[in-house]
Amino acid sequence: MKIENGKILVVDDEKGMREGIRRILEIQGHKVDTTDSGALGIQKGIATEYDIYFIDLKMPDIEGTQVLREIKLMYPEAICVIVTAYASIDTAVETTRMGAYQYIPKPFEPDELQILVHRALERRWYILEARRLREEQAKHLLEVAHEQSRMRTIINALDDGILIINQEGQAVLFNPGFLKLLDINQEISIGEPVLEILPTALRDQIKEIFSGKGSVNAIKQEITIHPPAKLVVMANTTPVMGKKGELLGVVSVLRDISELKKIDIIRSQFVDMAAHELKSPLTAVQGYLELVVDKTLGDEPDLYDSYLKRSLDRTKSLVNLINDLLNITRLEAGKVRRELNRQNIKELIIDRLNFFKNDISERALKVNVDIDSNLCVDADRDDLLRLFTQIIANAVRYNKPNGQVNITGRQNTHYVKIDFQDTGLGIKKEEQDRLFEDFFRAKNEFTRNITGTGLGLTIAKKIVDAYAGKIKVESEYQKGSTFSVYLPFAKQNNFTIKNSP
Amino acid sequence: MDKKIAMVDDDTDLLNIYKPVLEKAGYIIKTAFDSSEGLKLYKEFKPDVIFVDLSMEHFDSGFVLCHRIKSLPEAKKSKVIIMTSAGHETGIRFSTDTEEEKNWIKADDYLEKPISPRDLVQYLNEKIFKEK
Repeated sequence: MKIENGKILVVDDEKGMREGIRRILEIQGHKVDTTDSGALGIQKGIATEYDIYFIDLKMPDIEGTQVLREIKLMYPEAICVIVTAYASIDTAVETTRMGAYQYIPKPFEPDELQILVHRALERRWYILEARRLREEQAKHLLEVAHEQSRMRTIINALDDGILIINQEGQAVLFNPGFLKLLDINQEISIGEPVLEILPTALRDQIKEIFSGKGSVNAIKQEITIHPPAKLVVMANTTPVMGKKGELLGVVSVLRDISELKKIDIIRSQFVDMAAHELKSPLTAVQGYLELVVDKTLGDEPDLYDSYLKRSLDRTKSLVNLINDLLNITRLEAGKVRRELNRQNIKELIIDRLNFFKNDISERALKVNVDIDSNLCVDADRDDLLRLFTQIIANAVRYNKPNGQVNITGRQNTHYVKIDFQDTGLGIKKEEQDRLFEDFFRAKNEFTRNITGTGLGLTIAKKIVDAYAGKIKVESEYQKGSTFSVYLPFAKQNNFTIKNSP
Repeated sequence: MDKKIAMVDDDTDLLNIYKPVLEKAGYIIKTAFDSSEGLKLYKEFKPDVIFVDLSMEHFDSGFVLCHRIKSLPEAKKSKVIIMTSAGHETGIRFSTDTEEEKNWIKADDYLEKPISPRDLVQYLNEKIFKEK
């Protein structure tokens, strides 16, 4: 191994010598630079690192030893060949001590020079190769150190708990998340046996993986940790296999799923309540129909007609309930596509009042609407229709015969406020807080015959919440209620007010 | 002597359905819409059997009414039967899965809705009053 095309500098005040060396070496494909003084030699020799330096020992301005010293200072591994006509043991020893590679006395034969250059370049190659390897190794070590600390930082920052155990049951790696999730307060160091301090369920998981000798792929299990109470952790334990398929240890990843469990419980409660509410009308319909079909009560056509009519009513309420449930699911999905458009409040309210025309005239209700015709919000039309439907339905259904419904719309500093005031049954103080609960219905002797799903206000609240609005209720039992809906007003309204002269 | 049946349910349709059927089957039946009326009815009417809907006024009052009736000294003579359309227990007290709950509520039996009128009559005839 050697460098084929060397870069060589010749520092010599004697022109014949400089050109001689150049000629001989250039024939062999080397690149040769020359300078005719020690000062220029130092300058040029330091500016670039050459493979070989030929330095004349005796020059008029600076001694060759000085040039050698400067170059060696800059490049300790530089290969410097001392050229001199005044060969002496002393100079040879001195220059060698200073780090010169060789000493060549003038005059010399071209062959001599070529052999010398050949060897020097060989040496140079080893120096450069060693240097390259050294640099690479240093870089690699740095990377490894960097990578390790980065991994370490990431693992430590994880909320999930991580524990790696070897076959002896000793901790190989764990993070603060692991200690926190399992509420381990004692000090554990790497290499310490940890199985005994683990919760039984997790210990069993790990032991199962070990006893399976790699045949068990992974175990996933919910573990309840107490204390701290109510912490539910999903533990996922997998084997760590070696290259030859041998079991080296296990990794357990622990995740706090307490919040998910809570949501899960709320959800199944909702499903349970929904099922219950669906069963009630069905029980009635089924009962009525059985009496009609079996003619259980004898020949009573009018009675059976009334049963069929009630069955129809209950079926309708069942459909309403299912629609409400679907609405809630839709609102809760959180990915509802809302089309925000400028909506005129008065127009929507009139629309909804038309929808309840029959109910209103049946109860002989007097309806007053006092809403500014310009009152607008930016919202999805369907959302607002659904919202007003629910609230007007309550104002109508829970009203007294010949009662009133007063709807007023105003704009205050931050909101459009719409009040729905009725002269209905009112809501007891203790029931007011529960109005917006799923399936809650005020139950008393007056409300008994009013059908409803118990979801109307749940839906209303969800819609209002979706627009960062609010809904409030003021009510006096047996006197009436006022539901106030606050919605952020359309931006342009604000603009108009500020700029109006 | 004719057997006296009381029924407490907030769903008036169900009272509408069961009342004539039970009367036709030879029982004397009186109804109430909520638990406070139910307790009053029990004290005045002294029925042999009282059916109590579990989920009136938000789920708990059926249990409470049953507990109150069973705490009365005269309650030994009558049976309290809870009717429910509730599913499995999910935190809210729908059912009586645990012994502790059963001991507190002391209901004599539990029926799951929907119960057909025909089945209710059969239940009374064959299960409750058969041995008497």
